[in-house]
Amino acid sequence: MKFVDEFRDAELGRAVAGRILSLVEPGRHYKLMEVCGGHTHSIYKYGIDDLLPANVELVHGPGCPVCVIPMGRVDDGIAIAHRDGVIFTCFGDMMRVPGSDGSLLDAKAAGADIRMVYSPLDALRIAKQNPDREVVFFAIGFETTAPSTALTLKRARAEGLRNFSVMCSHVTIVPPLRALLESPDLRLDGFIGPGHVSTVVGAQPFEFIPADYGKPIAIAGFEPLDILQAVEMILRQIAEGRCEVENQYKRVVPYEGNLRALEVMAEVFELRPHFEWRGLGFISHSGLKLSAAYAELDAEVRFSIPGVRVADPKACQCGEVLKGVIKPWECKVFGTACTPERPIGTCMVSSEGACAAYYNYGRFAREREVV
Amino acid sequence: MSGGDACGSQHCITCGDDGVPMTVLRVDEARELALCAADDGRHQTVEVALVAPVRPAERLLVHAGTAIAHEGGAR
Repeated sequence: MKFVDEFRDAELGRAVAGRILSLVEPGRHYKLMEVCGGHTHSIYKYGIDDLLPANVELVHGPGCPVCVIPMGRVDDGIAIAHRDGVIFTCFGDMMRVPGSDGSLLDAKAAGADIRMVYSPLDALRIAKQNPDREVVFFAIGFETTAPSTALTLKRARAEGLRNFSVMCSHVTIVPPLRALLESPDLRLDGFIGPGHVSTVVGAQPFEFIPADYGKPIAIAGFEPLDILQAVEMILRQIAEGRCEVENQYKRVVPYEGNLRALEVMAEVFELRPHFEWRGLGFISHSGLKLSAAYAELDAEVRFSIPGVRVADPKACQCGEVLKGVIKPWECKVFGTACTPERPIGTCMVSSEGACAAYYNYGRFAREREVV
Repeated sequence: MSGGDACGSQHCITCGDDGVPMTVLRVDEARELALCAADDGRHQTVEVALVAPVRPAERLLVHAGTAIAHEGGAR
């Protein structure tokens, strides 16, 4: 299969791993963050970290859109879902994210009409099929997903659909990266940049990482060779004393991004002054809400929501995992009280979450042996 | 494509920021929609406004029911 088989070639992988080995200085420790949850998933699915020298460490960033949703936001969604006449729609993994009193899946079991959808268009279709019901779409995700929500909102408005609204929890990628780079408890040597977010935003927004913080970044695809090649690019920059944004995923990511997507996002959304990220706290200008022009389709305007901030469970260390400060298996409840079947923290919900990726691909047992 | 296949408990491709390569089968230019086929044979109606114009047999990268790029590079 084109763009898949050639990026899973074991021989090529070994060759890249050999070049990576030649680039590292013995005695120096390299800490690279993969920003995107999709990369975390691929790294553990394909055992990519096993191909790296022992002194090259991959740490997991805040790029899993499910993992960063705070509990209070889930509670807000559940509150809307329990309203009479409401059909509440959301993506699959979001159903299992714990709120302070259960998940959306629990609320569904308790009688709320909550439906899993694959796209915002599916939610719009449900609204058309149920004109006597209020259909709310719980929009989550980074800039990859936000254009899809924006197009659906434009379509809803153009079609005069009055029973459809969106609870917007979209987030943007640059502010949390800046927050991480400002964090005193995290020393990073470089970044593996998000592939599909960059399809929309392009490579340009990441220029601040080398310019302001002196760190290299390589935007990468999601196949094993993509990630290995990105690691090689970053280590080569370090070895040669360079520091820039490189684009390993050129087959999909243009430097300027998808201009139509950026245009439609600018029309439909505006930045919130601040937005709460699970484990990271409030980050300025990091969340999107519907613009004034689309306020009539904003579920937060249409329905009253509790809007209460809920602290994470004390046992959960998702915050430290999301910042790359600790490995998933270093969390006190990893694999015991917190499992993919009964998650306490969001990182154990989605398979892109660092904890679930570790757990699902057998790292649990191996790392415990190391401990 | 049904939600059950794509957004099940094992792996939610939307939450996972995945891009699914798909082939365009038919295009409804007026509505900016296209019927597309995934490599496993599943069909899905895809929003193509962000990558229009598209033609049958073209390969798209699809996320959350919306094509976000042409596979193989922007034209």
